[in-house]
Amino acid sequence: MHVLEARHLTKTYRIGEREISILEDISFGVPAGEFLVVEGASGSGKTTLLTLLSGLDRPTAGSVWIGETDITDLKEDELAPFRNETLGFVFQSFHLVPSLNALENVMLPAELRGDPRAPEKAEALMKRVGLADRRFNFPHQLSGGEKQRVALCRALVNEPEILFADEPTGNLDSENSDAILDLLLALRKEHGATLVMVTHSPDIAAAADRTVTLRDGRIVGERRHAA
Amino acid sequence: MIQRCNLHRISALITAALWVGGFLLTGCDRKPEALAPNGTPPPPVEKTEYEGTIVAMGDSLTEGYGLPQDRAYPALLEEKLQAEGFSFQVINAGISGETSSGTRSRTEWMLTLEPDIVILETGANDGLRGVDPEVTRENIAEIIRILQKNDVAVVLAGMRMVRNLGREYTDAFAAVYPALAEQFEVVFIPFFLEGVAGDPTLNQEDGIHPNAEGYRVLVNHIHPRVVKAIRAWRARSSED
Amino acid sequence: MLHKRFILRQLTRSGNQAAVFVLCVTLSILTIVAVNGFSESINRSLLRDARALHSGDIILHAHYPFSPALLDAVADLEAEGDARSLRIYDFYSVVRSPEGEKTLLVDLKVVGPEYPFYGRVELASGRTFRSVLAPGTAIVEQALLDRLGLALGDRLHVGEAVLTVTDVVTREPDRPVNFLSFGPRVIIDIADLEKLDLLQRGSRVGYYLMLKLPERTNLERTAEKLRSAAVAGQERVETYRTARSRIKRFFDNFLFFLALIAIFTLLLSGIGIRSALTALLKEKERTIAVIKAVGGTGPFVVGHYLAVVAVLGLIGTALGLILGFGLQYSLPLFFGNLLPENLHLVISWRAVLEGLVLGILVVALFAFIPLHHLREIKPSAVFRKESAENRRSAPFYLAALIIFLFFVGMVLWQLKDMKIGSYFVLGIVGLIVLTGLATQGILFGVRRLPIRSLALRQALRGLFRPGNATRAVIITLSAALAVVFSIYLVEENLDAAFVRSYPADAPNLFFIDIQPDQVDAFSDTLGMTPRYYPVIRSRLVSVNGERIDREQERKRRGDNLARPFNLTYRDYLLEDEAMRVGDSLFREDLEGLQVSVLDTVVEMKPMAIGDRIRFNIQGVPVEAAVSSIRTRTKESIKPFFYFVFPEDSMLRKAPQSIFTAVRVDRDEIGAVQNRIITRFPNVTAVDVTQTIAAFADIVHRFSLVIRFFTIFSIIAGVLIIISSVLATRFARIQEAVYFKILGAKGRFVLTVFALENLAIGLISALLALVISQAGSWIISARVFDIAYRPNPAASLLMVLATVLLVIGVGLSASVSILKQRPVIFLREQTEE
Repeated sequence: MHVLEARHLTKTYRIGEREISILEDISFGVPAGEFLVVEGASGSGKTTLLTLLSGLDRPTAGSVWIGETDITDLKEDELAPFRNETLGFVFQSFHLVPSLNALENVMLPAELRGDPRAPEKAEALMKRVGLADRRFNFPHQLSGGEKQRVALCRALVNEPEILFADEPTGNLDSENSDAILDLLLALRKEHGATLVMVTHSPDIAAAADRTVTLRDGRIVGERRHAA
Repeated sequence: MIQRCNLHRISALITAALWVGGFLLTGCDRKPEALAPNGTPPPPVEKTEYEGTIVAMGDSLTEGYGLPQDRAYPALLEEKLQAEGFSFQVINAGISGETSSGTRSRTEWMLTLEPDIVILETGANDGLRGVDPEVTRENIAEIIRILQKNDVAVVLAGMRMVRNLGREYTDAFAAVYPALAEQFEVVFIPFFLEGVAGDPTLNQEDGIHPNAEGYRVLVNHIHPRVVKAIRAWRARSSED
Repeated sequence: MLHKRFILRQLTRSGNQAAVFVLCVTLSILTIVAVNGFSESINRSLLRDARALHSGDIILHAHYPFSPALLDAVADLEAEGDARSLRIYDFYSVVRSPEGEKTLLVDLKVVGPEYPFYGRVELASGRTFRSVLAPGTAIVEQALLDRLGLALGDRLHVGEAVLTVTDVVTREPDRPVNFLSFGPRVIIDIADLEKLDLLQRGSRVGYYLMLKLPERTNLERTAEKLRSAAVAGQERVETYRTARSRIKRFFDNFLFFLALIAIFTLLLSGIGIRSALTALLKEKERTIAVIKAVGGTGPFVVGHYLAVVAVLGLIGTALGLILGFGLQYSLPLFFGNLLPENLHLVISWRAVLEGLVLGILVVALFAFIPLHHLREIKPSAVFRKESAENRRSAPFYLAALIIFLFFVGMVLWQLKDMKIGSYFVLGIVGLIVLTGLATQGILFGVRRLPIRSLALRQALRGLFRPGNATRAVIITLSAALAVVFSIYLVEENLDAAFVRSYPADAPNLFFIDIQPDQVDAFSDTLGMTPRYYPVIRSRLVSVNGERIDREQERKRRGDNLARPFNLTYRDYLLEDEAMRVGDSLFREDLEGLQVSVLDTVVEMKPMAIGDRIRFNIQGVPVEAAVSSIRTRTKESIKPFFYFVFPEDSMLRKAPQSIFTAVRVDRDEIGAVQNRIITRFPNVTAVDVTQTIAAFADIVHRFSLVIRFFTIFSIIAGVLIIISSVLATRFARIQEAVYFKILGAKGRFVLTVFALENLAIGLISALLALVISQAGSWIISARVFDIAYRPNPAASLLMVLATVLLVIGVGLSASVSILKQRPVIFLREQTEE
């Protein structure tokens, strides 16, 4: 049973007279609990794929199924609560809300959902990632590693089924990078979430259950790794 | 920079300025007020200190419009009288802008000051407002009647009206005073502003109110008539 | 060496921000040109009015024939062609009807054929004054015909002459200057002066010599020359600018107010320019970082953006000038009945040039800081996603100082008065410091508010985005709004004090010197029972035993306690009075004589209930205890009294005269006066119809002009709101995207934005309201010397309008964000 499925995804952009194809007829499925890495060179279309899979953008053709839902069919305002409850995001450049402190950033998705236990959940997660004492700091007062850990907590606070990560260690030094990756994988296991990650780091790819390789908007390879 | 008197204060001006003086109609020109630097007209002092009380009843010419009150003629007169050994106080009861009708209706009130002699100078504002001289004559006659009934000696100051009002009017006006003086047999000052009226050096810029120098001239010709009245009053008092 | 293509690219790619910047410049230039041009026109029109009020450029005045020296000086001027002169004699006289059975005191004006040099005499016949005035004739006020029972063509005895009444005068240009008159006007040709035979020794005559100077003559210098020839203390030399009339003071106030509005509008436009430019350059930061990274030097960057700004600025300037001219022609179309009739909307080239120079200066000054900030952008910003913090360096403070000095200069130049100017500058500095402190305080409080609602909390947190300009925006907004509000409030108060205090039913006929025993008969004759005001003259001696210090009192700027006061007695409040301290005028629990005082008295000397005031009522000392304090609810032409005694008190016996003011149909004034004066010759009637009409007309026109100029400052204020919202647009987009990614619906984001704008709008508006209320109270009380009304309804409306405007502008700038899918902005942010 696939928790996430891409069916014949195509994305083209029109720039002036030219039509540029970013993705062409991409189809694959992700079973529940899998750690999938999408790898590829810069410009291969992997970030675009991620935005389509997570409903942040719409494909030109094809559909994305999450569980029983075709998210390409949802309106923007139906998609938002769906994202909130089902999906979690970690970005390369963190994208923390600058006006909120660490704890509030983590609480935000839970609060948007109307979860009365938002503060406890957030506190627990922050404690788990070792940031309990930094929870009242604002993003600009945190280091890159700390920011990404806050982002991780935020992604997980609503216990999403699927976690999307876009080069989560891309803006970090190697030491922080390793720590974040370890934490990400550990938390994923603890929460039993499916993880779809875009990266071009071979080290990370090695840790995945499966790797899909993109080149020029097409899947050119697929590897399965031993657990 | 900007004074109290804005145009919207027309109401205040009308209610106040008209009485301040018939000539203060230029409004906001804030003249120094007619008061001594050290304060108010003295409240009537115990009678025993003086031989008698003289009340100077009149309009702005008596009050000393535009001057401190110690520069107006009543103060100068008191000074002069006392220097000559007449122990009389002179109360300034002048009201700027008052017509003879006003003077007439406050005569009773003046009696509360228990005057022995009243110097009566009124009517100038009647003339300046074109009031029929007959009205002025009646008013002054009534004032004198009331005063005499109360045993007050009267010194009547004659007034002449400015020529621009026209010969007929000024003639009729000027005739009022000598006739009254004769009728009531009072001490008479033929023209209150004798030697002062029309002289730019003795008058304020408005051309009608004497300046301090003007009052010094005035008091010289008022004084002998007052002395005459005092003598008559003494003579009558000793008769009683 | 400038890179043309780069500049072109920057211009074409800047989109909205560039448009807003251009708009700001356009509007500021438009405003400057318009305010300058119009105030010049208005100034000219006002000065013409002022000249008309005095009917000459230089006015010589004396109560004695002019001295030979002064006449020689005038003759010299005339001989050199530097002036034309005109004689006026103004005096009272008693005129007689042909048979001499009726007499009347009239206010004679004997004039030369050239009268008036300025303004116009209006006649009932509609003919021109000059064609009617002729030797042997008299032009009279209608009241004279009514009082004497004459008709046009009848003869009239004036002095020794017999004249024919040829026309009725309905309006004299210089009437408001000498607005109280004891008799109707009679105008006579100067050729008849001799025949009148009224000018002789013992006459009291106002001698006037009006001078008309050619344009461009130095008025003051000529006046000074004449002054040196005049006899001091006897002959007065004044110009229409300096003549000590209340009208003049009013003109001064008015022009002062216009100058203030002009400066404020300039300041507001500058602030608008600055924030628009900041918004514009903010979006360019990454581009600039890239340029620097590839080796562009600071001067290169600044130079190029300076060129960009210059081009945009020029476009704006050109647009502003075009619109300015457009406005000139279209204004009468829009405001035809709003603008004063004879206001000539001519934008002179000088005004354009001045506006241009000022506009460029303002653009340059206010663009300096944002441009200078470009130097601070580090090439490393290419690698960082968050923009550099605004740091304040020495050049920033230098620029601020220069702007400050520029405005000090402007203020002093416009107001032409060091003292007032420095007060004004101090006031502005105080305003900004005050707003800054208050903003800081409010934000400090808001930050610590525990808020349950997520949307509201997000909104308030939004105010504290790092690097956000919330504080600057609020300070700017509230300072700007405070100014706009103040202008409006002061304008309202001026209007209330000057225009609305002359309602249609204001009394137009005053009767003074009615004697107490004449009251009943007076009512009979009048045919109605007006309110009578007994008036008792007195002076203040002491308060609680402390003597009134005459010297000190007289030094006061305003009213003082040393002047004679009119007392009255009655037991009721007037319609336009209210109790301030105490429930009723008089109290049961006070011994002896009581007196109710007006709050104006308490302002001059603090007093409390029970304090003892000693009066001197024409020689008789009277002491009374303060029983209550009253206030006047509106400034009107109705009579009022500072001191009111109980009806049943000794005051009844005090010498008094009675005063009354009535409203009589214009056509009946003469008849009414006639009836009264015939029966009560001691009563004097004062007809103020013409005076009030003339005055109300002038005042009304002034009020319209002020209103018109207020629009400009409001436009500038709106621009600031727009540009400051645009300045934070980028940060808002970012937040909106995050919210949407995390699963917030469009409505939630909208709510957050709306609430955030609401907070900004509300804080700024309320702050501005507090400041403007205080400010306009001070301006009203100190500068214009009028009673102050806080105008709560209008205040509420202003706050509401501001909040709606801020929310509206803010949302319209953000609504495009909401409709889009989040990825668009993610992409926009990561790639540029």
